[in-house]
Amino acid sequence: MSGTLTNHIFLQFVTGLQLGAIYALIALGLTLVFGTLGLVNFAHGALFMLGAYLAVVIAAKFGFIAAIVGVPIILFIVGLILEKGLIRFFYQRPHTDQILVTFGLAIVVQETLKWIFGANNLPFSLPSWGVGIIKMHEWVPFLEGFVVYPKWRIILIGVSMTTVAALFVLLQFTRFGLIVRAGMRDAEMLRFLGIDINKRFAIVFGLGAMIAGIAGVFGGPVTQVDPEIGMNMLVPSFLVVVIGGMGSLPGAVLASFLLGLALSFTAEYSAIQQIIVYVIAVVVLLVRPRGLMGQKGLMEE
Amino acid sequence: MMNKTYPSFWRANAPVAYFAVIVLTMPFWFPLIGGYPGLDTKILIWAIFAIGFDILLGYMGYLSFGHAAFFGISAYTTGLMLLHYSSEIVPAMLMSVVVTTVAALIIGMLTLRRSGIYFSILTLAFGEMFYSSAVSTLQSWTGGDNGLTGLPTPTLFGSVIKDTDVFYLTAFFAIVAYFTARRIASSPFGLMLRAIKSNQDRLEFTGINVQRYKISGFVVSAIFAAFAGSLMVIYEPYVATEFLHWSTSGKIVIMSVIGGVGTLFGPMIGAAFMLYFENVISVALHEQWLLVLGLIFMAIVIFLPGGFVDGARRVHRKIMGRSAPSGPPAEKGEA
Repeated sequence: MSGTLTNHIFLQFVTGLQLGAIYALIALGLTLVFGTLGLVNFAHGALFMLGAYLAVVIAAKFGFIAAIVGVPIILFIVGLILEKGLIRFFYQRPHTDQILVTFGLAIVVQETLKWIFGANNLPFSLPSWGVGIIKMHEWVPFLEGFVVYPKWRIILIGVSMTTVAALFVLLQFTRFGLIVRAGMRDAEMLRFLGIDINKRFAIVFGLGAMIAGIAGVFGGPVTQVDPEIGMNMLVPSFLVVVIGGMGSLPGAVLASFLLGLALSFTAEYSAIQQIIVYVIAVVVLLVRPRGLMGQKGLMEE
Repeated sequence: MMNKTYPSFWRANAPVAYFAVIVLTMPFWFPLIGGYPGLDTKILIWAIFAIGFDILLGYMGYLSFGHAAFFGISAYTTGLMLLHYSSEIVPAMLMSVVVTTVAALIIGMLTLRRSGIYFSILTLAFGEMFYSSAVSTLQSWTGGDNGLTGLPTPTLFGSVIKDTDVFYLTAFFAIVAYFTARRIASSPFGLMLRAIKSNQDRLEFTGINVQRYKISGFVVSAIFAAFAGSLMVIYEPYVATEFLHWSTSGKIVIMSVIGGVGTLFGPMIGAAFMLYFENVISVALHEQWLLVLGLIFMAIVIFLPGGFVDGARRVHRKIMGRSAPSGPPAEKGEA
């Protein structure tokens, strides 16, 4: 812990943003699928894991750029196939069935990857342009002395924020977004208007999977790539989604960074750090059972 | 089913008697189908856990993804009692049940404010909270990653219990658990739980304090888990951190669903199937047993939501040649 207090706080803050960036990337896909399709996807962590494993394989064979382009596309297609072949039959079934079938799917994906790649974690080598450090003191005026941060983690923050912004624009300012948002309010009415809402639902699920893929490519080098990672990331992501208010994209982003910062600022007190996330979740839900920015009436039976 | 003539005690409890016969003869027939000594005990422990879980999921309609919390809390309490108080199991079990009940009351009051998916995720979060506390914050008590080791061999009224003694002790609790759960299911309280599952709001309108019944159902379910967790430590005097891990919660969910929720007997069959699969059939499947189990689980959720019990019913109906509509489907909660 070298440097002044300002430097210290600044570094904790950046670390918090970086942690929040991973949570945001994973929670974004979760909450998108939940908010628009009303589906709780326990397999989302497994999709993230699939993205990370694919990224390792593709990056080793064809280079990192190929992984950045390829993995989200592959995951999008995987998402489309899953929706068409499995998920769509569960919109009408009870929520418990949705949780169960996606939980089963998570196990199948996890165990398949374990079978192919073994139980140990895979080494993820960063591309040459992502290795190294950024000299923060050259960019931020109030820092004193020598303050550095890994380059890749800064890239991760950037990617996460860009994805958030892109998704927001897509949903808020395009015709596609309008239809999807209308579909989540009243799918029946859209069918009367002659809009093929089912096709859009499939695309939304594909998008959710694609974001999990982006999280896998950029988050994988930070989190580790092992068969446990899917479930390990799923639990905090769910908490993020619940704290933010289920189905709310801004809520999920807000909650991600809230949790990320809480984790990084308690890092020195590991006893507190281990439970801080749950403490926040409980407090938020006691005060606001619907979450920070949850909409009224959404999925409340 | 609505005839007013009550069956005699013996006829009403005939299934318990059958169950008792099957369980008590287990040491004789179980090795014949490849079970190793001790696996039968483990199956019964998980069966007790599964019965309790079914009261919550099958009857009340609440899918908990954090039930390992109660199994684990009880196991740790038993372990700590054996380690620091005495090797006698009676005080250890009593203490475990008390501690678990208190924990279930608190968690129930917090999580049962929400239903459906919120409940599932909140219970998952609470489960993870206990897990990460056990491996980090409470390390000096729980032994962290290593779990609780060095426990004395448990005793009952001064005499050491092991191997077959543990089996018959567990069998006794399993039979009592099945009997109790059946009584609960057919009681007015059980009816109330089923009413919660089918339509909470309507129940609320009749002036009933639904929340109180939900918490009671949750606590009752946790008490079964407490007995299971305690017996697990008596069976093998060691507390693994895994007992609190989400995978334990997932395991009980898989067992219940495979066997058939809402039937009490189904989840026990599921428990037997899963442990048999994990320990005997897995030899042929090597490391991939969990993958195969995951596929079986998915297939059942998709095609046979009532689990094995529902499957058996359907086959039975086919053979009897009767037409469909008799008997309630196990998992169609919508009213």
